[in-house]
Amino acid sequence: MPDMVSLDRAGPQQRQFNPYSDNGGTILAIAGADFSVIAGDTRQSEGYNIQTRYAPKVFKLTDKAVLAVNGFAADGNMFVKRVRQRLEWYRHAHAKDMPLRAIARLIQTMLYGRRFFPYYVYNILGGIEEDGSGAVYSFDPVGSYERESCRAAGAAQSLVQPFLDNQIYFKNQTAAPGTTHPKHLPLQEVLSLVIDSFTSATERHIEASVGDGLEMYVVLARGSQLQGLENVPNVQEMTTTSDGERIFIIRRELKKD
Amino acid sequence: MSIMEYNGGSVIAMVGKDCVAIASDLRLGNQALGISSNFQKIFPVTDRIYLGLPGLATDVTTLRELFRYRVNMYTIKEERDIEPETFAHLVSSTLYERRFGPFFIEPVMAGMSKTPSGGYKPFIAATDLIGCLNFAKDFVVAGTASSKLYGVAEGLWEPDLEPEDLFETISQTMLNAVDRDAYSGWGVIVHVMTKDKVITRTLKGRMD
Amino acid sequence: MDHFPTNWGRPRNDAFDAYGTYPIAQRPYNGPKDTFETGVQRTQQPIVTGTSVLALKYKDGIMMAADNLASYGSLARFKDVERLHSVGNNTVIGAGGDMSDFQYIQSILDSLMIEEFTAQDGHSLGPSEIHEYLSQVMYSRRSKMDPLWNSLIVGGFKDGKRFLSYVDLLGTTYSSSTLATGYGSYIAQPLLRKAVEGYEDVLTEEQAEKIITECLKVLFYRDARSLNKYQIATITAKGVHISESRSMETTWSFAEGIRGYGSQTQ
Repeated sequence: MPDMVSLDRAGPQQRQFNPYSDNGGTILAIAGADFSVIAGDTRQSEGYNIQTRYAPKVFKLTDKAVLAVNGFAADGNMFVKRVRQRLEWYRHAHAKDMPLRAIARLIQTMLYGRRFFPYYVYNILGGIEEDGSGAVYSFDPVGSYERESCRAAGAAQSLVQPFLDNQIYFKNQTAAPGTTHPKHLPLQEVLSLVIDSFTSATERHIEASVGDGLEMYVVLARGSQLQGLENVPNVQEMTTTSDGERIFIIRRELKKD
Repeated sequence: MSIMEYNGGSVIAMVGKDCVAIASDLRLGNQALGISSNFQKIFPVTDRIYLGLPGLATDVTTLRELFRYRVNMYTIKEERDIEPETFAHLVSSTLYERRFGPFFIEPVMAGMSKTPSGGYKPFIAATDLIGCLNFAKDFVVAGTASSKLYGVAEGLWEPDLEPEDLFETISQTMLNAVDRDAYSGWGVIVHVMTKDKVITRTLKGRMD
Repeated sequence: MDHFPTNWGRPRNDAFDAYGTYPIAQRPYNGPKDTFETGVQRTQQPIVTGTSVLALKYKDGIMMAADNLASYGSLARFKDVERLHSVGNNTVIGAGGDMSDFQYIQSILDSLMIEEFTAQDGHSLGPSEIHEYLSQVMYSRRSKMDPLWNSLIVGGFKDGKRFLSYVDLLGTTYSSSTLATGYGSYIAQPLLRKAVEGYEDVLTEEQAEKIITECLKVLFYRDARSLNKYQIATITAKGVHISESRSMETTWSFAEGIRGYGSQTQ
């Protein structure tokens, strides 16, 4: 007699629709004394599959605020869209751009508003504070946040963050006798560190999740010098007003394999 | 719970100019609970080979003894010290013997191997827990902080470092990587080997 | 909870029912009518499915291709289904995944285009607007945990600009010069990228068609849920053109000699 297929042995079975996905990529932001650098790679992937080599993860919100969004791309794009809408409403109501610390708090409440069906995204907000200082705010998917002077997030966070601890915060380094470590690094040095971080991450990260292109936004405080930015290749100014903070974008290639 | 993270710990080895370095943390844990801050994971095999054994602590002891036994047998049979390349293959085949019930260890080796001209050249290697060999030209990492070690080492390491610079590089790499790893830390030990000597230094690390 | 005391079925009481309104002839019934009334059926899995859609940018616009098969599991159920659909005069959408969901999407888009037309405001929706609208629909349905089970490619040409973008059941979007859904993303996308990237502005329609049919052919041979009957759409300055269904010559004699490929007797 042939084997009988037992039906009741299978038991009830349920497959649930999974509304999330991980689209890889890495973002990074570093604050200087009077500037802020916010960067992200441009690859969008799912597992080992590269969906596109150019899908921006870093977005200009205002002339003094830039938001980098990493995680589930559909949530990320939708979140940026909603933040921008709230900022537009603010501009219409108050005839000015929302200050950076207020944007940070807005992002917290928006993220926490979805506490029980979270946006699967790690946010890093960079820009210039009202007092003219460079600032970076980092968030978890449900809205916990803090102001820092440097943060990496995404697929290569574990590779980049300890490197930044060492090179930005001078962790485990002792200053020469009679000297102290600088509180903030100059722009040129910050840009080199960002590029080094991304090339390292691209080189070593397993899975096809970091690479293709790099976009670095630089926000300069009101009235500050260009600090060598004019000599950087592929730099493009994105400022919309003439007397406020200035925003630049620098594009670079990363390895495509 | 992953068994590779049960006790924690990390090891890294780097190549310099006519020198090698190997470093590990000193923590022994029971998951998140720290047990010891002086748990050795790196052992001398010959005068010119060091072996790091990050992974499950009980297998650290077992493998240390197993390799001591097998290297002694080799030395008696051959009447000479084992070469680093040979030892790497010994490690690989020893681990592959347990292909379907492995030791939960990812060994890292560093040594100076003899050249035909009578000199010495730096050698590093690592394997996974079933003995897949990785002969790298720059650095190898293993343990719970491996991804962090990769990131920092990729940023700090450069070719042809002198022994003192190699010491600084491997120490900074180790310290900064384990500070971002909950399962590694509590001090670091570094060995820098040149053709005629080994310098061992114990570093103070964060204790949180 | 029924908040009408008169519905509670208690005996008459002059304190609250002095006029003897109880029992009322047609008193409202507020209890549960149908246990499953508030229940909704959500798409748990695709049923009748289409496979890959391929698309690329070329000199004059966008080219898109899909076969005419709608499968029911492993059964080749419908062999004359059109998976390329034009929306307005500048856009084509191609769909993989659940075909009933796709037909629902077609009806939404057709109503949308009618609504926009009746406005007579001198505007018409182009490919980027349609893609944006579709991605909002797809994302909001995934957020209701009731997704439209499709991978869609939107291609178009308007105001001298080519447009090519993707959206799926999760609301994930992206665009690039070549796109492929389903098995096509594994098998055809590498071939398309090699043939198209860097040549978007020089490829002629003939060259583009050669590339895309070659990719379709590879898919016919390797994707078991595909069919050698397909359509090709072009969207150019001249407007939308979706071809009649056409068949492609396939040869299977080589399969005889390959164990596990062709039919084997033992």
